[in-house]
Amino acid sequence: MINKSLAERRSDKELECEINGQPMSLEVPPTRRLLAILRDDLQLTGTKVSCEIGRCGACMVLVDGRPVNSCLTMAYQCQGKKITTIEGIGQDEVDPIQQCFLEEGGYQCGYCTPGMIVSVKALLDDNRDPGIEDIEEALSGNLCRCTGYGGIVRSVHKAVQLRRNSS
Amino acid sequence: MALTRTTSGERWRIRPDGPDKVTGKLAYLTDMYQEGMLIGRVLRSPHPHAGIVSIRTDKAKRIPGVHAVITHADVPGMNRFGIVNPDQPVLCEDRVRYIGDAIAAVAAETQEIAALALESIEVEYVLLPVVDDPAFAQTKQAPRLHPGGNVLHRNQYGHGEVGKGFAKCKHIVEESYSTPRQMHTYMETEGGLFIPEDGGRLTVYSPTQHGYKDRMQLARILGLPEFNIRVVSSPIGGSFGGKDELNVQPYGALLALVTGKPVKIHNSRYESVRAGLKRHPMKIKMRTGVDENGRIMAHQVHIVADTGAYATLGAEVLNFAIEHVTGPYTYESVEVEGVSVYTNNGVSGEFRGFGGNQAIFALEGQMDRLAEKLGMDPWEFRLANMRKPEDPGPLGQTIVRTDGAMRTWESLARSPIWLRRHDRRTSEPWIRRGTGAAIAMHGSGLGFGIPDPAGGMLALAEDGKIEAIFGYEEFGQGLIATLELMLIEQFGFGAEDVRIVIGDTDLVPHSGSSTASRATSMMWKSLQKLRGPFLDRMLNEASKLLSQPADNLRIGRGGIWDKSGEHLLLTYALLARNISEEIRFQTHFPFPVSPTKRVGAHYLYTYAAVAVEVEVNVLTGRVKVLKQFHAIAAGPVMNPQGFLGQIEGGSGMAVGFALTEDSLMERGAYLTRNLDTYLIPSYADLNGEIEVHAIEELPEDDDHGPRGVGEIGSVCIAPAISEAVFQATGKRVNKLPIDPELLQETPDFLAKAVDGI
Ligand code: FES
Ligand code: FES
Repeated sequence: MINKSLAERRSDKELECEINGQPMSLEVPPTRRLLAILRDDLQLTGTKVSCEIGRCGACMVLVDGRPVNSCLTMAYQCQGKKITTIEGIGQDEVDPIQQCFLEEGGYQCGYCTPGMIVSVKALLDDNRDPGIEDIEEALSGNLCRCTGYGGIVRSVHKAVQLRRNSS
Repeated sequence: MALTRTTSGERWRIRPDGPDKVTGKLAYLTDMYQEGMLIGRVLRSPHPHAGIVSIRTDKAKRIPGVHAVITHADVPGMNRFGIVNPDQPVLCEDRVRYIGDAIAAVAAETQEIAALALESIEVEYVLLPVVDDPAFAQTKQAPRLHPGGNVLHRNQYGHGEVGKGFAKCKHIVEESYSTPRQMHTYMETEGGLFIPEDGGRLTVYSPTQHGYKDRMQLARILGLPEFNIRVVSSPIGGSFGGKDELNVQPYGALLALVTGKPVKIHNSRYESVRAGLKRHPMKIKMRTGVDENGRIMAHQVHIVADTGAYATLGAEVLNFAIEHVTGPYTYESVEVEGVSVYTNNGVSGEFRGFGGNQAIFALEGQMDRLAEKLGMDPWEFRLANMRKPEDPGPLGQTIVRTDGAMRTWESLARSPIWLRRHDRRTSEPWIRRGTGAAIAMHGSGLGFGIPDPAGGMLALAEDGKIEAIFGYEEFGQGLIATLELMLIEQFGFGAEDVRIVIGDTDLVPHSGSSTASRATSMMWKSLQKLRGPFLDRMLNEASKLLSQPADNLRIGRGGIWDKSGEHLLLTYALLARNISEEIRFQTHFPFPVSPTKRVGAHYLYTYAAVAVEVEVNVLTGRVKVLKQFHAIAAGPVMNPQGFLGQIEGGSGMAVGFALTEDSLMERGAYLTRNLDTYLIPSYADLNGEIEVHAIEELPEDDDHGPRGVGEIGSVCIAPAISEAVFQATGKRVNKLPIDPELLQETPDFLAKAVDGI
């Protein structure tokens, strides 16, 4: 499923971490960016690339449950960490957050969507009842150019409500 | 009625491309990978204007892992591109005209080697004076950027005599408006995978808004017959006009052919910024006068558009702006002149709204200023000068009779935002509130005199799927979802019965471009034409197989049913397996145009009236849009989620145009190189209320059906915000994005403290 051969070709130093629940040991330079490890080495292309300076959130992943820009994260910072990408969310059945995005139309081209969902997931895992300001803060690092955020606002509010009701 | 999920009922559906988008499974063309592929990079000019003395590539070529380094000498066909006017070099020979001009391209085994190879290419330049001001560009002293001089295009329109018109005026408003170099900022930057195939064929996986047009341009550059190239162009991570012109395709294609290996290119954000198109910055001077009754007697307009280094669709954008500086009003006299000028400021080109955004910002600004001079309500003033349904179009051309202007005007006049516009209460003294509104008519299709073909195909595939095959692209607008809904509603198929095939020149017919708000209307029209023959043929075949008269049968979900709809008699799969001859119908027709012979003039228009409520913080000078109301008259709504999404998305982009976005340049070099300084609206900027009203009824004799809404949501926001800011602060805006400094005030308490000393 996950093809490690390319990553290992850059043999340098062992990176031990867990990606989407699967223990991995990869031989990559300590400074290789997590974004490149995911997209180029492991072909986990659900994580997107857009600005590479930590501004847009297209590359957002969870590292030990916290949202992180994978474009700004280096391999050595992932040592011993649990990394969750969009491929690791709703693996068996779609996550309620993903369902909300589907129903409310919280996406158009979909390029910002994985990062957006990762950020919402981080928010709701951490906070059962976020207010408007918490949501604004949680999504302050995720840009979307297509939707004008209308559908995203509706999706997130619905996901927040579901989370509230479930607790 | 407000368009929402609730009011749309069952028509609000989960998009067919949704599940793969929310799970990250959807492979964009820039996500593609092939074993053994090389990485392509392009060497771009560091200078906005220079002569090339020499290009030496030997050092780069000697680097292990470099498979090719190419220059203009390696372009087998025409070393130029440009959709209408091919004046941009694929690889520059002797001169660079902008900071993104391409000089060489490399293919190497890794990103790192490719980067090293780029650095090892030696180019000697002689710097030439930079032409960074369109006004200077038109003077005799300015260096000539192209053999024909620095004017790409000039055009004008007029009727009546403005001299006489102004003589009758009680009030005249004269203003000069300027608009920014807005960037499309699609989240997926340009790129793709280019694969040489057996038999000398080439497959191009790269986003574009018109696969066949890319194929034609690439064939010209590569010196190959068109059928040797297959262009796969969807799905796309956003475009907004920005991926309409060729971008990385020529380099990927050339490198793949030269190396015989797959080549992948994916632009970094800065490369996208420097090489890519922008919205034309325009300076629009307007002089408009009214008589004592508030009737517009004269309207004089002069437009200067900065088209940058190359043409692409600069001339067409200027024509569109000229058409849209008069809007849904009647005038006793009009005189419009426009010029699109070459400079060394990047390349301006096609962008959602297509020159309408700039024109309507200026025009609506005039309307508000005139109303103020007259002491009239700005909305009533617009009504007093509004076009009648049978009036000719803005260029005096015959257009389809339309009452869209009046309908949207009325809808806005009744909107809650507008009704409470005089309530200016705010929580803090340094926060001011204001409401503004604007109205527009916006042309769809490419216009008279420009080839604008449309069409599509329906087939019953061997596996029993109903295939809808169109040459349109999915860049997020929801084209696939719209097509699916049309097939369900107009044909009676189930979603699971249909397969939509788009974005692949080996599979799809010529349908024209997915631009100019045309794709939805052309899909609708194609299906109208195909419906009769396709369904008749299906029923006839079924009637033969079932030995029942066709009259007793009907098309339905899953297959052919009896007339009562109680029994499924034949599945589509069985039908497909048992027919003697393939069921496949194709249609081809041009986008409807005006009988008036004026190049670019439109025949079909959509209308929008927009009101916004804003808050201005006079300490920071920042404007926040609190509420928006949009009344849109674009015929029947084909896909409510898509319609709403286009209006919300278009208006969100326009909020950026009005408040924060500008690709700043200094002497031809970009100062804003990434999303840290180029500021598009974020979640917190746009989570205010937005209400969209769709006016679906068309005049009885209008059989053109739904119009596209890809652009109309983006054209009224800037003028509405500007007026709202004026209502809030008393300050008139004539330049976008609105400069916060203009709106900052010395706080009261500071003034008092000074007094007290
Ligand atoms: S690509 Fe990482 S934040 Fe934009
Ligand atoms: S859906 Fe296209 S960028 Fe968000």
